[in-house]
Amino acid sequence: MLVQSRTKRRKLVIGLVAAATLLVNALPAHAMNLYKQDGVTSSTITLGITSPLTGAAAPGYNKVPYAMQAYFNYVNDNGGVNGRKIKLIIKDDAYNPVLAKSVTNDLVLQNKVLAIVGSLGTAENEATTRFINDHRIPRLFVNTGYSGFADASKYPTTYTVLPSYVMEAKVMGQYLQENFAGKSLAIIYQDDDFGADALKGFAIAGTKFVAKIPYASGSQADPTVVGKWISGLAQAKPDVTIMFGVSSATAAALGGAYKAGFKTQWLLGSVGGDGTTIATVAGPTALGLLYGAIGASFLPAPSDSTDPYVAQFQAINAQYNAGVAFDNNVLQGMNTAMLTVEALRAAGSKLTRASLLKAIAKSGSTFASAGFAPLGYSATSHVGYNGYWFGTYGPTGAIKPVGGSYTLYTTDSGSGAVVKTVSKRPALPTKGLPNN
Amino acid sequence: MRSRRFSPRQSALLLFALGIALLAASRVVDELRTYQGAQVAVYVIAIASIVLLTGYSGQISLGHGAIMALGGYGAALSFTLWNFPFALAILFGTLVGSVGGFILGVAAARLSGPYLAGSTLALAVGLPTLADQFHILGGEQGLNFDIGDPPHWMQKLGGDNFTQYKWFFWITTSFALVVIWAITNLLHSSYGRNWKAGRNNAVAAGLAGINISQGKILAFTVSSGLASLSGALFGLLLGLVTPTAFPLSLSFAIVTGAVLAGVGSLTGSILGGVVLVAIPELSGALATHLGGSQKMTANLPGLLMSSLLIVVVLFMPHGVRIGKFGRQQQANK
Repeated sequence: MLVQSRTKRRKLVIGLVAAATLLVNALPAHAMNLYKQDGVTSSTITLGITSPLTGAAAPGYNKVPYAMQAYFNYVNDNGGVNGRKIKLIIKDDAYNPVLAKSVTNDLVLQNKVLAIVGSLGTAENEATTRFINDHRIPRLFVNTGYSGFADASKYPTTYTVLPSYVMEAKVMGQYLQENFAGKSLAIIYQDDDFGADALKGFAIAGTKFVAKIPYASGSQADPTVVGKWISGLAQAKPDVTIMFGVSSATAAALGGAYKAGFKTQWLLGSVGGDGTTIATVAGPTALGLLYGAIGASFLPAPSDSTDPYVAQFQAINAQYNAGVAFDNNVLQGMNTAMLTVEALRAAGSKLTRASLLKAIAKSGSTFASAGFAPLGYSATSHVGYNGYWFGTYGPTGAIKPVGGSYTLYTTDSGSGAVVKTVSKRPALPTKGLPNN
Repeated sequence: MRSRRFSPRQSALLLFALGIALLAASRVVDELRTYQGAQVAVYVIAIASIVLLTGYSGQISLGHGAIMALGGYGAALSFTLWNFPFALAILFGTLVGSVGGFILGVAAARLSGPYLAGSTLALAVGLPTLADQFHILGGEQGLNFDIGDPPHWMQKLGGDNFTQYKWFFWITTSFALVVIWAITNLLHSSYGRNWKAGRNNAVAAGLAGINISQGKILAFTVSSGLASLSGALFGLLLGLVTPTAFPLSLSFAIVTGAVLAGVGSLTGSILGGVVLVAIPELSGALATHLGGSQKMTANLPGLLMSSLLIVVVLFMPHGVRIGKFGRQQQANK
């Protein structure tokens, strides 16, 4: 009995091994063409975005994808792009590189998107780069100013839109030199490529600090961490403090300084300078803390209804994104969506991933957009805007340009000079609907 | 002691056959499923580490996510800083985690029950965030662990479209099968018998001449080695290791996977791995179907996992067992 059973088992094992070996050779390899065309049908274009919708960095940024969706819906209701309606699939990455990788996998492999648009975060985009490159997925108008993404050889399918953080720090350095010469300076910065880029820019500008305070992304939610920032500042007693972090970190710093009775002239980086977001995080009273702070931006002030782009986007927001306050995040989302529509139109009716990338390289620099600085897209450059204007925050948290008009400071991410210029940009297309 | 169904040689051949079948399957399934298959393999190893520790030696750990971080960081650090080949880097990560596990095991041998659970929980909370304090560990952004394209000979073997994810699937599955085979043999050796004796009745086992403390330390070390191997493979799958890759929820997830599978079942760890990968996808589909908010989408996986855990603990305290073999295993407990 026992011998029979053993023999049976032996036969079973040998049979299974033989069957499995045969199977591996018999099955045809799955026809998995990495570069096949996904995301386009005769009636639809499917795009994807990853952004923090939950977690510490979500306030403010969670409005960007829905603003984009609102603009796409507006375009869809007006005929779409070459007869195709745009569908945007939004995925939450909680500002976490690991989640970003996972949801980008889903967007490409499961949702079969044509391209990723407006994906947010330096580390989050870094984490998905390998996969994006391998699959030749267009990653358009990334919502990060990390200067590294402009390297077209390393990121061949990635196009930036924000001026780099190096550029921002360089123009800030210039502004400080012009307006706060001889004053002591301190900086609070996010301790990753985001902050490292800023330090690089300040070093090029020759800006010196009496205190440099790094913080880990997400730690701004911890009151003891914020307490350490403020005690560090109180010790260094800077005349001007630069905040180079996300809006929730700015809110934490302003609130912490107010509680500790610490006073300084705040200069806020564009990423963390949205008044509405700061009020959402820290409460409406925080807007009072913003009063008198200086900020930088490349888009017009969201409260400036005299600007044709702002007025048009405000109207679209009221109709397609009802109940959402119009702020810098909504403005940026709609601007990114408009650039996307122009890129899709430029790629023509035979839309493919390759034709999309080619179209931006060929005509991206002529796209109409709300940004005051020119777009630098070409066959060799994947760099978007290259400059900022400075403004001061009023008692309601609204930013207005210093001196009453937009004076632009432009530069590059290298050692090029900072140039002061008057802004020029293409006129708003009729009804905000691209006609390129 | 129940006799083994298959001899070590037969089980090696069976697992080899299973491996070949899985590799064959990777030729026909799409890339997303291949990637998920690799994730399952990583979780299988992590769950096996809990099965060995809790199911056989009777120790509790809520901090194995942190041990996975040790493995992940050890592998990535040796890969980026000292240019180790990736296979060596994975083994180095495993070694780092094993050493960490040994140190912990010495402390753990003196603790039991809630004290052990509490101290390992503290480890899960604290250890990954330590990476923020050392620039060599890459801070918040972590360390790169991108091992590049599959070697040419493998691309030839796997066909024209042998992607990186397919390669990862081959690597992780191979490791998982070897681990299952090795642990099965270990558990049927005198070490496994001693662990079980110590778990069932420490006093009686001690009187029988078994060194309980030594056994516990060894079990913690081996279990940590497995957890750190899965951590290294997890880093390989992600292409990077960051503190956020090893959150507290990861420690809970692998314990949950082990409970679902039945903490004494190695084969059940495969089911546990599948559940851990399937739940987020199912909950995503469910949230979309229900038209839920972002908050609902973010919290639904946790809710589903917790509900499943409660149901299993109430109605299937020995884990989900399928078929005659499962029922027989349960009867033998």
